[in-house]
Amino acid sequence: VLHVDRRSYYAGNWASFTFNGLLSWIEEYKQAGPSDEAAQEKVEEGEEALALSSLDTSITNVEVFCYARYRGNTDPGEGHLSHPKMSACETEANAHLCCCDYSQLMYSRGSLVDLLIKSNVSRYAEFKNVTRILTYRNGKVEQVPCSRADVFGSKQLTVVEKRMLMKFLTFCLDFEQHPEEYQDFSVHSFWDFLLTKKLTENLRHFILHSIAMVTPDVCTVEGLRATQHFLRCLGRYGNTPFLFPLYGLGEIPQCFCRMCAVFGGIYCLRQSVRCLVLDKESGKCKAVIDSNGQRISCSHFVVEDGYIGLDQRKNVDSRQISRAVLITDRSILPSDSEQQISLVTVPPVEPGSPVVRMVELCSSTMTCMPGTYLVHLTCSSSGSAREDLAPVVSRLFCIPVSPGEESKEEEGSEVPSVLWALYFNMRDTSAVDRSSYDLPSNVHVCTSPDAALGSDHAIKLAEAVFRQLLPEEEFCPPAPNPEDIIYDGEGPQGEGPGFEEADPAEALPSQGEVESAERQEEAEDAGETGDVAKQETVAVAENEPRPASEE
Amino acid sequence: QHGRVKLKSTAQQEEEKRKEREKKLKIYVTARDAVFAKRKNGMLDDEALLLTQQLLSSNPDVATLWNYRREILLHLETIREEVDVQKMYEDELSFLESCLKVNPKSYGSWHHRGWVSARLPRPDWTRELGLCDRCLSLDDRNFHCWDYRRMVVKMSGVPVDQELQFTDRLIGSNFSNYSSWHYRSTLLPLLHPESPDHSHRVCEEQLLKEYELVQNAFFTDPNDQSAWFYYRWLLGRGMYCYVVPPLPCLTVMCPYFPGRSVSWCRDSATDQELFRSELSVEKTSVLQSELQSCNQLLELEPQNKWCLLTIILLMRALDPLGYERETLSHFQTLKEVDPMRGAYYGDLCSKFMIENTILKMEYAEVRVFSLSDKNLTTLCHLDQLLLVTHINLSSNQLLRLPPQFAMLQCLEVLEADNNAIENLEGLYHLPKLEDVSLKNNKLSRLSDLQPLASCPKLTRLDLRRNPVTQLVNIESELAELLPSVTDLLL
Repeated sequence: VLHVDRRSYYAGNWASFTFNGLLSWIEEYKQAGPSDEAAQEKVEEGEEALALSSLDTSITNVEVFCYARYRGNTDPGEGHLSHPKMSACETEANAHLCCCDYSQLMYSRGSLVDLLIKSNVSRYAEFKNVTRILTYRNGKVEQVPCSRADVFGSKQLTVVEKRMLMKFLTFCLDFEQHPEEYQDFSVHSFWDFLLTKKLTENLRHFILHSIAMVTPDVCTVEGLRATQHFLRCLGRYGNTPFLFPLYGLGEIPQCFCRMCAVFGGIYCLRQSVRCLVLDKESGKCKAVIDSNGQRISCSHFVVEDGYIGLDQRKNVDSRQISRAVLITDRSILPSDSEQQISLVTVPPVEPGSPVVRMVELCSSTMTCMPGTYLVHLTCSSSGSAREDLAPVVSRLFCIPVSPGEESKEEEGSEVPSVLWALYFNMRDTSAVDRSSYDLPSNVHVCTSPDAALGSDHAIKLAEAVFRQLLPEEEFCPPAPNPEDIIYDGEGPQGEGPGFEEADPAEALPSQGEVESAERQEEAEDAGETGDVAKQETVAVAENEPRPASEE
Repeated sequence: QHGRVKLKSTAQQEEEKRKEREKKLKIYVTARDAVFAKRKNGMLDDEALLLTQQLLSSNPDVATLWNYRREILLHLETIREEVDVQKMYEDELSFLESCLKVNPKSYGSWHHRGWVSARLPRPDWTRELGLCDRCLSLDDRNFHCWDYRRMVVKMSGVPVDQELQFTDRLIGSNFSNYSSWHYRSTLLPLLHPESPDHSHRVCEEQLLKEYELVQNAFFTDPNDQSAWFYYRWLLGRGMYCYVVPPLPCLTVMCPYFPGRSVSWCRDSATDQELFRSELSVEKTSVLQSELQSCNQLLELEPQNKWCLLTIILLMRALDPLGYERETLSHFQTLKEVDPMRGAYYGDLCSKFMIENTILKMEYAEVRVFSLSDKNLTTLCHLDQLLLVTHINLSSNQLLRLPPQFAMLQCLEVLEADNNAIENLEGLYHLPKLEDVSLKNNKLSRLSDLQPLASCPKLTRLDLRRNPVTQLVNIESELAELLPSVTDLLL
């Protein structure tokens, strides 16, 4: 497996960044790589070249707002942020402490967690449980009682409501066993079904928006299934159904890369594939030509949608996700503990506006500085990210009047202020079928993140691609324990070094075959990942649940 | 095969594991023998501490080893400076922590920890409380930890209100926790006593808050019995007081000492005093509103046994006669939804029905007592029926007439047809008993009728449709056993 990436980081549009990394990403995303004609000379007779797009168009409408005052007046770009929390953020940014990603949460039961456990990839990551589910209702942020303890402790529900809610949720847990309860509603919407269930308006809101997390018009069974999935995830690792990987979800693709590298995969960053070499006769891709003009033979080629040029797309799908990343100065719902990880569901604030999902991360997730919060907002696009999300941001947060101006805090004001904000749109190709690309049959396209919670679509796609490449092999088989691996020159009794202690660069078995330049890069990258791992073990001193150990 | 990872085979792995285990066992056995040898020789030194530590860290459940350790520590205590003793016991505590990680429910480890904490010259109770909190957050029902915590709280004098907050926290994270609820029941009277005279009771205001808390629990999960138990404890002082009335007189001939008379006394108690304590107006209104809440829950959960049973008890406390019909119907539902405890519900219902009949009798001052056709499975409160001369127990599900039945010293006529009685133990020395009807029961042996021989005035006995009538020579045998009976129906 050779993994070539034109970027300087792993995981493409799934990546997590340090704050400085994010700033340079904002600068870089629009720059096209150098176009290249030299590639043609490597193409032999009976072959033709198929150029890949050198410009990634998956990210659009990037807008950045910094509301912390700059210290230097002359050039904002060179100045330092004067807000105490922001300047800390900036100075520490290199220390991997402030990181922004296209954050998604993981369901604690689902294809991703199953895969992490099954493949032992989970050993490379640490997780925290999302601590609470919030919702925005009647102009207020409220906690959604979803677990038994939440329902018991809720101050906003009457005892009868508590019973109604628990009764409904218990029914959803094994609704298939009670078809008589819902079969009359199979053609009706979930909302209509809820209306017949003697649930108060409160409860209907919680169930629809925050537990099932569906739109009112989905059919009854789909709504029930979504509720059931939520409930089945509940309590596996904590009081909510969601996990967040420390340092961001971008860790997860990196973990898979790491596992791949340990067992012989070769990784080359900052190097891209210019074009594919197609065999005219069979129409298949037989080699690629990289940015150094080097021709590399291959039997299969897997590529992210962002590399595919317009010519290879049969129809243009315009589906997009609107994203916003905010750094704020306090939690959206202050509580006893500052360290809350919250999922906030925001129903349409006006008729016709989108459902927004928001994740607020605290500093113990290793994604922001103590005292600040990192907030991600996601919705399906109808316009630019800012048009879609700004109405929600302005309702839930205090936005200073103009950039550079700190908000005038009212005494006792509970609303968090935005210190820094980023908006962008990202192409959502999850609905694009393989048949809508005009590509050779041994070229496989994978998608960037979609708007759904969890990463089910990506996992399903990865497995489908893998089946085409190696129909006989098991998908992500459990990685063997380090002590069971036989190293060259060692007898079966030899004690192999554990992964954590081993220098990852040395653990790459097939290094000798790689050219020297690549080897250097490889070692650097592996070294980087190694550092991350070290930090994790330090950072997570508490006894946080890990999928692998629980299983 | 390039880049392919070579793995040990399963057999290789098994073999390695086996060898590993063998090695461990050998080390363990050697150390164990060394320790026992040292103890035999009365050696109380650091080496012995080290050896026992090795053994206990892999198996903390060997009481002998803990005992030996205590002997050593006690000895070292006498020969060391206080600073060193402090250090020694602190080391012991951190060693114990590692043992608790191996087995958080090890009797030996927890007991030893209590012992060490008590001997520590300068104990750090805050740290110990922290340890308990950590343990309970992993398993909130670890009773070893609860026990140890109680000791720590006692020794360090944690204020009661802090402890109450502690139970709040535990109940908040998971209310299925008997220990926490029970702990509340011991803390509340200390913190909110009803009055200085009644320091074991909880004041009204706090009680109302507790009702609210526990209602939140049983509305959230009505099948969790821990909350119901606590609720019944809260209601308890209104529901379970049983008043024994003082007794006026009745004189009969003493059956045990012929020729002498005994006094039997019986008060004309009113229903206000019998079977429940007198309720104040405030308490009545509280119980009324609790009954309403429970009825509200029952509407949502018509099959919930805890709710049904609590409602029955509340209704009894408030107005046993007024709620009789509802009580019976709730008992019926209970038997259907919880058939495993059918007999328990049957007995409880019998008790309540007998109580109700006694209460009604008190109004009427009658000496004829009818309990027929009430589904009785057991008899109780027979002490309240001293003056009864005629009793009708027909058409119930009684299996026996228990020994207490002999209290009915004035009884002249007993009807107990259509039951399943197979034992007459209680028909013993009843001086006035003349007429006994036991049609259609399960009396099968002659010896079952033996007690009747002690009733001097028995003249009429109806045994029709009992297996005993099928015995050969039954008539003559009975004539011999019960010579006073002139009117025998078989």
